[in-house]
Amino acid sequence: MPLILHDLEPLHWAVAGAGIALVTLALLAVTSHRLGVSTGFENVCALVVKAPYFGRDAIRGSNGWRLPLLGGLVLGGFLSAVLGGGWEPTWALGMFDTEIGWGPAGKLAWMFVGGLLIGFGTRLAGGCTSGHGIFGLSNLELPSLVSTVSFMAAGAVTTNLIYRVLV
Amino acid sequence: MAVFYLVLGTVFGFILSRSGAADYNYIQGMFLFEEFQLYGIIGTAVALTAPGIWLLKRYGKTLTGRPLVIERKAGHRGNVYGGILFGVGWSITGMCPGPVLVNVGEGKLYALAALAGVLVGAAIFGCSYRVLARPFRLPPLAVGTGEG
Repeated sequence: MPLILHDLEPLHWAVAGAGIALVTLALLAVTSHRLGVSTGFENVCALVVKAPYFGRDAIRGSNGWRLPLLGGLVLGGFLSAVLGGGWEPTWALGMFDTEIGWGPAGKLAWMFVGGLLIGFGTRLAGGCTSGHGIFGLSNLELPSLVSTVSFMAAGAVTTNLIYRVLV
Repeated sequence: MAVFYLVLGTVFGFILSRSGAADYNYIQGMFLFEEFQLYGIIGTAVALTAPGIWLLKRYGKTLTGRPLVIERKAGHRGNVYGGILFGVGWSITGMCPGPVLVNVGEGKLYALAALAGVLVGAAIFGCSYRVLARPFRLPPLAVGTGEG
């Protein structure tokens, strides 16, 4: 199946998985940081929201690496588009367009609601796919296994409900 | 060092963009059990990272000679309930936190709404930590739910 992005053929899963492992291990080996993206959103929040939770040491002390890492993720997506056929703004959303077919306003509302759940949920869980699913599982941490099973199961139920029951 | 983290993030983002991990159809295919791609990616990443972490712990130092410290995450009820909320959000958007940023970079306009939602959601969480701490048995505020 081609990607939504310029109908590109995806990397082989083994290549992508090995690449992610290299990034994870490089971060740990060079700077002793555990990979994780979702805490970085707290660093962004801390720039504008002055709640005590965002002022804790783990946030104040990690701006220097989490913010550039987050910026790099945006840059990586940008370069991927540029090198893969050119960067252009798009509303294309694959099977959402063919099966559900909402326009831009509906997509924005749908995505905002989903984003709320991601932001609140990952911080309540203490990690996301990278922090729990990759680093935590690789470090054999039980809370990460519990979280990973929880979000994989909830995602499977939701997608099956949307695409096999509702539409 | 900021450049090092920027480069790591860029490589990570490029891989997520080109592998299907930041692609709505591949995420739905994973949750419908119709596409092996994401299971292969996550499985390979864990299978290679696990022995790497084990070796680095045995070595006990970073490559620059500083002590290697891996703080393990605390276990609490948020692991389950937060995980469930996140899973629903991942299904709805087709993006987990890294890919939210990758999709913004790719030029997918709806991803801006997802990013706004993520930041508002994280802000709501941070502002209600003291209220949530008791029912979800969260660690003290200074510790947080886990850095990830």
